Amino acid sequence: MAIWRTDRKAPGLTLVQRRTIIGYIFIAPFILGVILWWLLPAAVAAHLSLHRWNLISPPRFVGLDNFERLFADPLLMQSLHATFIFTIFSVPIGLAFAFFLASLLTTRIRGIAIFRTIYFLPSIVPAVAGAVLWAWIFNTEFGLLNVIVRELGGPRIAWLQDPNWTMAAFIILSTWGVGGTMIIYLAGLQGIPTMYYEAADIDGAGRWAKVRHITLPLMSPIIFFTLILGLIGSMQVFTSAFLITNGGPQNATLFLVLYIYRMAFQSLHMGYAAVLSWLLFFILVVLSLIVFRYFGRRVYYEN
Amino acid sequence: MSIMSMNNRISRRKFIKLLGTSAAAGAFLSTSDLMKAYAQNVTTISFRGWGGVEEDAGVRAAIEVFQEENPHIRVEWQHIVADYAMVLLADIAAGTAPDTAFVGSEQYETLRQGGMLLDITDRIRNDPLLGQPGYFFEPQEAARSADADGRWHGIGSCWVAPHIFYNAALFDEAGITPPGFRDDQIWDWDTFVEIAKQLTVDHHGRHPGDAGFDRENIQCWGVNWPLWWIPIAAAVVANGGKFFTEDGLSGLDSPEALEALQRLSDLIYVHHVAPRGAALEGLGMPIAAMLDTNRLAMAVDGSWALAWINPTALTVPMGTGALPKMAQTATYMQAHFHSALAPTRHPEEAWQWVRFLATPFYQTQFLKIGLWLPSQTALLTEEGMAGWLTEGIHPDSHAYFVANYLPKYGVTGRIPPGWPEAATDHIAPAFEALGLGTPAEEVFPDAVRRANEVLRAAQM
Repeated sequence: MAIWRTDRKAPGLTLVQRRTIIGYIFIAPFILGVILWWLLPAAVAAHLSLHRWNLISPPRFVGLDNFERLFADPLLMQSLHATFIFTIFSVPIGLAFAFFLASLLTTRIRGIAIFRTIYFLPSIVPAVAGAVLWAWIFNTEFGLLNVIVRELGGPRIAWLQDPNWTMAAFIILSTWGVGGTMIIYLAGLQGIPTMYYEAADIDGAGRWAKVRHITLPLMSPIIFFTLILGLIGSMQVFTSAFLITNGGPQNATLFLVLYIYRMAFQSLHMGYAAVLSWLLFFILVVLSLIVFRYFGRRVYYEN
Repeated sequence: MSIMSMNNRISRRKFIKLLGTSAAAGAFLSTSDLMKAYAQNVTTISFRGWGGVEEDAGVRAAIEVFQEENPHIRVEWQHIVADYAMVLLADIAAGTAPDTAFVGSEQYETLRQGGMLLDITDRIRNDPLLGQPGYFFEPQEAARSADADGRWHGIGSCWVAPHIFYNAALFDEAGITPPGFRDDQIWDWDTFVEIAKQLTVDHHGRHPGDAGFDRENIQCWGVNWPLWWIPIAAAVVANGGKFFTEDGLSGLDSPEALEALQRLSDLIYVHHVAPRGAALEGLGMPIAAMLDTNRLAMAVDGSWALAWINPTALTVPMGTGALPKMAQTATYMQAHFHSALAPTRHPEEAWQWVRFLATPFYQTQFLKIGLWLPSQTALLTEEGMAGWLTEGIHPDSHAYFVANYLPKYGVTGRIPPGWPEAATDHIAPAFEALGLGTPAEEVFPDAVRRANEVLRAAQM
């Protein structure tokens, strides 16, 4: 609590006042950033959603036309479908894979740090480089994936041309970035006191029982956190789809953010794109609430 | 000691403050100094465009010549490497539009409709050089530049149109006469398919139609006809159809268009003379390399590809020829425009620059490297062509192509507003479905109906 002295005889600010101002200066960049790059654009988007604007002529007020269009847009349905399918598959697969890797990487052997680095590196490869790399891996004739599939006796799959397989390709691609989640899980796993495992050993618990009754409950806050982040991130997938297939083939990978981008900057319907952005926001809020309500109760907090 | 350090601390703070304010003042003063200097006797206009290294060099050379001839005008070149359309729109929306710019053929109508392009009709008509009838070859130039009222809002940079690039050595080996541009050298569709079959061989040397022909292991394809909009438009007009109708809608659901589209798909799936898009991408080789390594006999590609598919670049002998005719001989031509933007504060100087770009110097640079085809008749005469035809770039057939074939058989038109949206959302997916083997009449009527809804909405 600041005590402001009004009967001060010395000139200038009090120590507390100075400290407070310095405090505000330090958080100013962040607050300014939130206002300039989140609050203001969100407010402008809300305002734009009631207008028609193609960037060339000034915005024209059209009331709720853009909202009506939401219900009559078949491509929006396709886009939501693609985004949800991607999220439903890639998030659990990604989290499970990250958890599996993290458990492996807690093994105490020499040089484990090297392996941790190796598994973490892919997640910091720049998006464009990753996209080019994966486009080659999914290459129908000579791509690495098809070579393996053909060795196992499978057909030549046109990963990026066949609409039935492109979604699978992107789900496989999403496992490329589990490094970050893996590191978080690693930290969490190492934070579990070994005495619990020792006690479980004494009680005669097998490996799977230990995971079920010790590891998972104690990791559940972290898993919950990565689940929320993973859902929000997956619903907003853009870069890989934009770079590799640009929404194709036949709009099979027209994820929602890519659709918004296309609607705004290629089709020049800024008002409708603003509505879609707010729609995405509400979908994410509802999704988060569902996850909080359903999974939040099962999270075990030690205190 | 403490007094000394106290003095130092205060004076250091003051010193830094002083430094900061003087630096800011200096920066402000220096920019205003620059502005004052320019305002006095030189007008600066901005010119924005896209392109690679050659375009960049070409524009800079043109700017030098122009600035020599017009010492009171300075042109600032803004080279945009990626996302050109979007960057231009963002600047227009922000009020910082350039004075002059490249305008893509698919953006031209949208910008014109929004009142963003300067009307230069009267300036062109009154110009002693550009106003002469027959300065550009017609009727194509007016067909693409003029709106329904005959007003011009930009001048076409050049022409480009698809045609056949072929590997002459493969034709020699098979004993077949390659195509050309003269009327007697242009094949009809069935002849074209037959010849493509003779040039397609699998790994055992068999042709399509032979017993035991292995369509999964083809060593050399007869032809590659890409399934994106320009090569498709060329096929559609060659069958007498229209890619865009007069009322600015898509014409791809007409019987002629559907027949042309199906014929392109049949090249891949019925006659097995063309690779599937997947296989082509799968080989990871650019077209030039495929021609060069005898994996492809004929490639249908835009005339711009001559810049890298030419006698100097390839190790095999090559040539160019006209697309086969279906109902008529035709190819589809278009190109980007040079326009002055309406918000410019220097319309006269902007016009002078746009005008300069429509005179021979600028166009010649890109004609020489094979990237462009001439739109100015002065460059189509014997002496005119001698000024840009380059040994090693332009095959022997090129002179006849630009001076006779293109003006006679090139078809063009205005690309309607709303086309980028209609194309991305509905037409391009239909092309993709066609490329996967779906029959044209299953895909296109529906896609065209949806695309036309978008195009109609954009016209309002």
